[in-house]
Amino acid sequence: MASIDLRDVCLDYPLYGAYDFSLKRRLLGRLFRQTSEMRTIRAVDNISIEAKAGARIGLAGPNGSGKSTLLRLIAGVFPATSGEVAISGNIVPLLGLGAGVNLDFVAADNINLLLRISGRKPTPAILDEIWAFTELEARMQRLPLRMFSSGMLMRVLFATATAFPADILLLDEWLSVVDENFSAKAEQRLRKMVEAAAIVIIASHDQGLLRRTCNRIINLDHGRITSTVALDPPIPHHLELTEITA
Amino acid sequence: MIRIEPPMIGLNAPARRPSVLHIFKVYYPDLFGGTLTVIRDICASLKDTFDAAVLVCSRAGGERQIVVNDVAVERVHSFGDVLSLPAAPTYPWRLWRRIAEHDLLALHAPFPLADLVFALGLGRARPLVVHWHADIVSHAALRFLVEPMMRRTLRRAAAIIVSDPVLIETTPLLQEFADKCHAVPFGVDVEKYDRPAAQADDVNARGRLVLACGRLVPYKGFDVLVRAAHARNFEVWIVGEGRERDHLEQLIREYGLQDRVRLLGSVSESERVKLMRIADVFVMPSVTNAETFGLAQLEAMAASRPIVNTALDTGVPHVARDGLEAITVPPGDPTALADAIETLINDPERRRRMGQAARHRAITKYSTSAFKEGVETVYRKVVTEEAAAKDAGSSAPAPRPRTAGLVGAIQIAAALAWSDVRHRYVRSLLGPFWMSIQMAIMVAVLGSVIGHLSNASAVARLPMLAASLTAWTFLNSVVLDATTALQGSASLIKDRALPPVIFLLQCTFRQALFAAHNAVVPLILWLALTPRDVGGAIAALPGLVLFVICALGVCLVLGALATRYRDIKPIIESSLTLAFLASPIIWTPEMIDRGSTVMRLNPLTHLFAVWRDPLASGHVATTSVIYVLACLAALAVAATVTVAQLRKAAFWI
Repeated sequence: MASIDLRDVCLDYPLYGAYDFSLKRRLLGRLFRQTSEMRTIRAVDNISIEAKAGARIGLAGPNGSGKSTLLRLIAGVFPATSGEVAISGNIVPLLGLGAGVNLDFVAADNINLLLRISGRKPTPAILDEIWAFTELEARMQRLPLRMFSSGMLMRVLFATATAFPADILLLDEWLSVVDENFSAKAEQRLRKMVEAAAIVIIASHDQGLLRRTCNRIINLDHGRITSTVALDPPIPHHLELTEITA
Repeated sequence: MIRIEPPMIGLNAPARRPSVLHIFKVYYPDLFGGTLTVIRDICASLKDTFDAAVLVCSRAGGERQIVVNDVAVERVHSFGDVLSLPAAPTYPWRLWRRIAEHDLLALHAPFPLADLVFALGLGRARPLVVHWHADIVSHAALRFLVEPMMRRTLRRAAAIIVSDPVLIETTPLLQEFADKCHAVPFGVDVEKYDRPAAQADDVNARGRLVLACGRLVPYKGFDVLVRAAHARNFEVWIVGEGRERDHLEQLIREYGLQDRVRLLGSVSESERVKLMRIADVFVMPSVTNAETFGLAQLEAMAASRPIVNTALDTGVPHVARDGLEAITVPPGDPTALADAIETLINDPERRRRMGQAARHRAITKYSTSAFKEGVETVYRKVVTEEAAAKDAGSSAPAPRPRTAGLVGAIQIAAALAWSDVRHRYVRSLLGPFWMSIQMAIMVAVLGSVIGHLSNASAVARLPMLAASLTAWTFLNSVVLDATTALQGSASLIKDRALPPVIFLLQCTFRQALFAAHNAVVPLILWLALTPRDVGGAIAALPGLVLFVICALGVCLVLGALATRYRDIKPIIESSLTLAFLASPIIWTPEMIDRGSTVMRLNPLTHLFAVWRDPLASGHVATTSVIYVLACLAALAVAATVTVAQLRKAAFWI
């Protein structure tokens, strides 16, 4: 059963590069009893979130309020500085689609590698299924990705990233595909993926989107929770969407 | 619900029958026996609802693909039997390749060669039914090796079919999975054993013909039967062939029973039916629980024969019950066996009564249609459940990603490394081996230069020089590569939440694969220019393993440090050049001062010595081994700390 339990979690983000951390500075600093300057920034400040299956959580807040960092903390990218993090379930972070892509490789190899990176075993059947979703010609599977237009590349990456369901789905902004014909289909697939996941957390600036999709909105500012708004269950949109696409 | 187009399109098409792959160690025409009869009967009786195929091993050469009774049989070459198992090294591979072509896998256990495939987690995408024919009883000492694999197979199985409910209670391994066990008793085609109307009475008043039937293997207990015949006056005919034949013949000679005990060898099916009809008593003398059911005794029951069987913890005494259809004696007891046989031989009325009871039981409890229905129900249920699960998307092709743990990390690192190697081939002019050619040129140039510097024969030193350069190139590239690995994979670490340690493993794997390309050069030179001392090469392997492990340790530690502190990278770069010059990599022994402090303290000297010395002279200095092991211990501590710290690597990049 998927669940997320964050208790009084803080994350201090060390600011390497912005301050002098060198050995010289450390020794001299100690020697002259220099007051320690602020070398970290508290990106997540005392946050507690509890989510069980069915939770659809929206993270809202201005830039730099810690939305993405919190998502990465839940994904396990950053370790918490203090507090307890207990997560069960298989997490699929859709934080960026471009990671791990090699433009020199043919599309099929890229898809296989991306599947392996997410711990899936690629089979011809899975590849065909992904390729069918992209609606690209079959022979393009054998072309290197650098020959693809950005729209076609996006189709391939989107189809691969969303091919499998997740227990816990983390989205940094709603994945949008800027391709008129494809975006409706992509939207539908993402919606289905959101429906299938036990827990979904979406970070977004788009309040409308969060209201449509989520049943709880957490407003963040400077790494803190300023307010939590519980909403009624989201209205299922997919029926309407299927009618449009049908 | 996420709709993933079902990858197995065939499953939903009503026109196509689902196909079953039967997995066993041997099949017709190489052998005849109970299990094979069962597989054949399943294939034949389910042919309207399931397409069957069989994958087995075969010692006989000849056709790899044959058709037996309308069933496609693929035979994998085996070099003979080792520990009762076919030595068919390619079987697991073949099996793995075949799995995807079928909708259902039917494993006829025990067959550890197939367990190997399932224990490795291959073939997860297809449902598995295990037909549990027997536990492994022979070679019990090796059981600890096989049992975990069998357990994994059973855990993965969707259903387990046994021939008798008692097996579920008496087999510890099956007890663990009792909830998915189904008891489906084998069936016998009774009509085949109907006697022609002309033949009046089937019980011979002076009868003394005892029949036994089965492969001549130890667990069948035919030696007990031969011993039982000693000092009695009944005749014993044993039908079957196998590796115990010589032993049994010797035993018969020793007891002087040549006139009363006969080994008939393999006989045709119709011949066997006839023998069953003329025999007076049928004996099932099996001595171990490897005999789970005793299909032969069921056939004898269909032929209205009274049975003598043994009190095993399996279905054997349940199929023919003591006092009703059989006399059951303790296994391995020749006297008790002989007494039981004589009791029946001396009592025609009892033989008749038991024979009738036996046939009645075969008709009512062990019909072929009940067996067919039982198996078909289980198969159907499993295939339907799988299809439903696929439709629901809950177990889409791979049920769960396997990123967890070290194994997952290594798998991903290996996949990435392999992809890197392939990347080197892409758009290359000379193909995969441009790396090797580069190494060959380096060896040629350096070899000629050094040959002029020192007086030693340059050609004789070339293989060692090439090996040293390959090893150094590996170490050098691993370290250099590690310093930039984490930054190069920033997006995978931050956006895909992959553990950073993967990318340091990837470095080592990738460079090891490149080194394998380069290693072609020293290998060819070694084969061409030296007396090919294989013993020395084998002695060098442990040292080489130490070398690679050290490289991995250095990679982890320096990779993390260089990412955290950016000035480490240039320091490492300049140190590597220095290390190359200060280590005996290209220098010949006579060119260097072995006693120099730098040489002695330089860990690289020893790291090269542990594998190079055995290769050159067959032995290695103890100091070098101790030095390397000490370095390894230090590296292990450092690497452990590093891996713990790597959790923070996302902050550094």
